Amino acid sequence: MAENLWFLREQKKISVATLASRAGLPIGLVMEYESGQRSIDRRHLARLARALYVEESDIKLQSDPRPGAAPLERQPPREAVRPVPAAPQPTPAAQPAGRKIRERPPRPKTVGRPSLPPRPSQLAHLENLLKRLNKTAAELEAELGKPLAGLDRRALSAVLHDLQTKLKSVPQPVRHRAYLPEAVDEFEARYLTAAQAAGDRLQFTLFDGSTVEGQVIGFSPYSITVRNADGAEITLNKLALVSYTRPVAAPAQEPAP
Amino acid sequence: MSLGDYLRLLRAKRGGVTPWEIEAATALPKGLYRQMEQRYRAMGDEEAIRILADYYGVPYEELRWRHDWSRKALSRTLFAASLEQRPLTLYLWNGQVVTGRVLWWDLGAVALDMGAAEPLIVQRHAVERWAPRLDAAADDGEDDDEDAD
Repeated sequence: MAENLWFLREQKKISVATLASRAGLPIGLVMEYESGQRSIDRRHLARLARALYVEESDIKLQSDPRPGAAPLERQPPREAVRPVPAAPQPTPAAQPAGRKIRERPPRPKTVGRPSLPPRPSQLAHLENLLKRLNKTAAELEAELGKPLAGLDRRALSAVLHDLQTKLKSVPQPVRHRAYLPEAVDEFEARYLTAAQAAGDRLQFTLFDGSTVEGQVIGFSPYSITVRNADGAEITLNKLALVSYTRPVAAPAQEPAP
Repeated sequence: MSLGDYLRLLRAKRGGVTPWEIEAATALPKGLYRQMEQRYRAMGDEEAIRILADYYGVPYEELRWRHDWSRKALSRTLFAASLEQRPLTLYLWNGQVVTGRVLWWDLGAVALDMGAAEPLIVQRHAVERWAPRLDAAADDGEDDDEDAD
């Protein structure tokens, strides 16, 4: 016979908190279940039964309130109990006299970063940009009025930035993209589909020199199946094929006069 | 037939040994064999070709020669030939030589109009070499969309 949840818990001599912890449920929810304010969710029933070492059927879905117990009071929503914001902190000037404020020492001013040699990647980038701009290092040095070897990392970075901007203004040659048709076997598939629909006979030349002639009855990206004159079906692996075509029909012989 | 197609053929003749087994049996870096076989541009360096020539027991020169006739180079030629509507000669694996205008082409086959009533559909893997040959532009990595692997 099913028992109230609180009864079973007390029988096992465990607290609500322990039960909630074992069942992995919020303690408030377990309290609501025990008080009968809420009937036990089916998904939680199994957890509670496991936590109490009883069968699910031993627990009443809707517990009766414990005799003499005060009704469970719901917690007010969190918004209502949120504390009012604290008063603004007094400014240092308004600090009470006995409290010392530790002053942060002034940060020392930076006196310029040390000059660092250019990075290898910068030099490689420079070389690449000069090549693309059809310029020599000597020409660039003449423009800058100083040798490139004398440039540090920051100065070279500025030079690279200028060259990059110049490169953008120079019209670039048209680049050939991949010569890619519509799809991997788009055109061949179209050809074979048309041949199959028309019931055409095709003549296939194989790598071993032999030929096969037949009507296309199916194909895949890797094979073509044909039916030959005998009615036999042959599947040809495309890897074994050299070429194929529609054979030219022999001209009909004119009847003898 | 490109080096990739030829390697695939040699591998099939070996009873379908896997690329991983070949890499394990040779000093090829991991993944290179698969790339050499599958990618459209020419992959692998002289050393890799030499290793594979030894593995398959075929002349190094033959593999090296095929390395220069990649699938991508054929695509480039087909593209130009169909654009300019000029005849192209294909030298096929079985010794056949066919010349015609490119009607269409994809990654599997080429349709040539040879002046006959019906076009000839040539399987690309059967093409040994072709003429005229375009100047080999650099098969750089940026034009690599065709390498759909």
